[in-house]
Amino acid sequence: MNTSKLNTIDAIMLILTIVVTHTILSLPRNILLVTKSASIINLIYVSIITILIAYLIFRLMKNFSGLDLVDISEYLGGKKLKTIMGIIYIVYFLISSSILLRNFCESLKIIYYPITQIKFIILLFIVALCMANRLDFSATIKTNSLILPFVLASMIFLFFANMNKFVPERIFPILGDGVFNTFGWGLINIASFGGISYLYFLPPLLNEPQKMKKISLISMGITAIYLILCVSTLLFMFSFFLDTNEITPLYNATRYIEFGNFFQRLESIFLLFWILAVACYMSIVSKFSMKIFQKITKIENKKELIDIFGFLIFAISITPKNFAISEKYETEIYPYLVIGIVFVLSISILILANLYKRRKKSVQKEEQHV
Amino acid sequence: MYKLFRNAFIFILIVSFIIAFSGSYASLSMDNLAYVLAIGIDTSDENKLEVTFEFSTTASASETGSSSKTTPIINSVKASSLSNAINLMNSYMGKQLNMSHCKIIVFSEEIAYQGISDEIYTLINDTQVRPSANILISKCRAKYFIKQTKPELEGLISKYYEILTNSSKYTGFIPDSTIGNFFNNIICKSCNPSAILCGTNQTDIANYASQNSEKDFSIKASETQLEGQNNTESIGTAVFKDDRLVGELNAIETISLLTMRNEINRFLISVPDPIKKGNYLDIYLSLDAHPKIKVDTTTSSPYIKIKAKFSGRIYSMSDQSSYLSPEVLQAISNSCNSYLESTFSNYAYKTSREFQSDISGFGKYVSSNFFTTEESDNYKWLDNYKNAFFDIKVDTSVNSGMLITET
Repeated sequence: MNTSKLNTIDAIMLILTIVVTHTILSLPRNILLVTKSASIINLIYVSIITILIAYLIFRLMKNFSGLDLVDISEYLGGKKLKTIMGIIYIVYFLISSSILLRNFCESLKIIYYPITQIKFIILLFIVALCMANRLDFSATIKTNSLILPFVLASMIFLFFANMNKFVPERIFPILGDGVFNTFGWGLINIASFGGISYLYFLPPLLNEPQKMKKISLISMGITAIYLILCVSTLLFMFSFFLDTNEITPLYNATRYIEFGNFFQRLESIFLLFWILAVACYMSIVSKFSMKIFQKITKIENKKELIDIFGFLIFAISITPKNFAISEKYETEIYPYLVIGIVFVLSISILILANLYKRRKKSVQKEEQHV
Repeated sequence: MYKLFRNAFIFILIVSFIIAFSGSYASLSMDNLAYVLAIGIDTSDENKLEVTFEFSTTASASETGSSSKTTPIINSVKASSLSNAINLMNSYMGKQLNMSHCKIIVFSEEIAYQGISDEIYTLINDTQVRPSANILISKCRAKYFIKQTKPELEGLISKYYEILTNSSKYTGFIPDSTIGNFFNNIICKSCNPSAILCGTNQTDIANYASQNSEKDFSIKASETQLEGQNNTESIGTAVFKDDRLVGELNAIETISLLTMRNEINRFLISVPDPIKKGNYLDIYLSLDAHPKIKVDTTTSSPYIKIKAKFSGRIYSMSDQSSYLSPEVLQAISNSCNSYLESTFSNYAYKTSREFQSDISGFGKYVSSNFFTTEESDNYKWLDNYKNAFFDIKVDTSVNSGMLITET
């Protein structure tokens, strides 16, 4: 068994990390803003579609065993397409992670570090990222597999601990803003499953690539349950998330947890878990970005890239002039990027590559017949 | 050379972090903070607000946990807004005010009639203010209320503020009104907020003679005949429409409110004794299940059906009482039913016709009558609530007395 490769649990945890970190910030509120009281129904609907898409991705990638999306792009369109796809994904990963880091650090600044400049809080994560990336990839993944169960468990705890404050009637009106908004326009909530993008790059990293189907379906299933739990917590607890904007909605929910006069103020534990989860997420994203970069440039030594990518993330993070700009990206641009790049562009490439392969095979067969 | 450069870089990085984070650490250090236990907000002649802060003293929170009583520090400041008042007090105290241990926020009735949304939004925006801090509406000036609060059994005033609402679980005399819930209800499109009604003891003890069972339950803060070292009391509910105070509920009406919200464990009521006319029986009741509430919205006059089921035990006992007979128990149950139906009905119509404020949260049952938010919004529940009609059915099962069943 190759220890530097990922086992099934590591791979599932890796995909979940992406969703978990985005959920800490504005993701659940974005879902609620789009579909309001119909958010839970919408999430069930969107989850079924995403699981089907995950299965489709598995089927499409099955024909290219051990290859990732960048390799498949090369197979389809040569080096040009490989480079284009590589750059698109690097830009997507870097911008998404950098803006997420910025927004998370803004929250940390408000809660814990009111006087510290935002760049120093971001720099802490960058240092952690650079240090983690100097280690083997499996070190990051194993750390992530260790931390993420705590984060997932904390979310389940958050749901059950606040249950006595739930108003289940807030699920009504059942169709929110109407049928079209819930099932048509509400499809935009598919962007919540952004972790699916890592499925495209997993095959070469897997210890047992034949378990790709299991990984795809389980990770999307857990993501769906996790998102439903988070959105339910906010929907049933608060009436105001549809009208007001809070920087970290789930943090607000953690502040309500109290068991008598003794067991109070648990939000610090949640924040600790979230900080660790974000640090893991950052190192995973930068690692994937570097791997893609290495693939398209054929640079052998990754150590040279670590600091450059760290610097890039830092630079993008501090670029937005204020929180409003980075929040705008998170709520108004990120969902479309996910849908455009992860769902439309990448699946199109896979479909075309499969058609190309089938055509090539039939041509080969014809030639053999002749 | 590379190693030297690397070590120098690491050293600079560590020093930068120490400098960058020391400011935040220092600002959150206990030495630099003044912990606020209570905030009182009054109107002021010259300016908009007079804000009173009650601080914990080091002695009152000693590590030994001794319960020796200390006089808390109470300071007030006049300013145009709450944030400016906090800022001025920061300057006066020489320490930064920290609200993370603030347990109660008292508004005077006067300011509550004008609207308190600005103050609520400001407080909820503060990361230090806990959502569990209680909102109190004082019938006297908030500053006076805070000054008159002198807990008798608790050495630490913070502990007293923390357990202030505990008795509500078995008396039902005050609602659960945290700032988190209050804010939630201000924003809510189908409900209105409420708060705890408080005041100082004012009633003349000489009026004891006029007291009877009914009057015991129609009291509000500042209307009781309590006498003690602590000059303050919290009984009743302050009813809000949006962010403005519109009225008050007395003790029995507050019990009705908590029953509608299913926020009460048990409570004591006095019902007419069906056997001995003119007498009253004290009965401990507890809700068997969440009251069943249905709202018919086919017309602009909502029709609200409420079914509540209670079980109870007779608490008061007198000579020649017999509570083992099924007929007697049934008669007492019927007496409870008619008493509660009339009480709940009076309460419901009072909130609907007089206050036009849905503090019971009936609005949440309306949403299920519609498929879309637009249809639900178009019904304009909060506007139509004033036209509501109520059909209240109570089913009480009085089981017996407690330790004694017959005398």
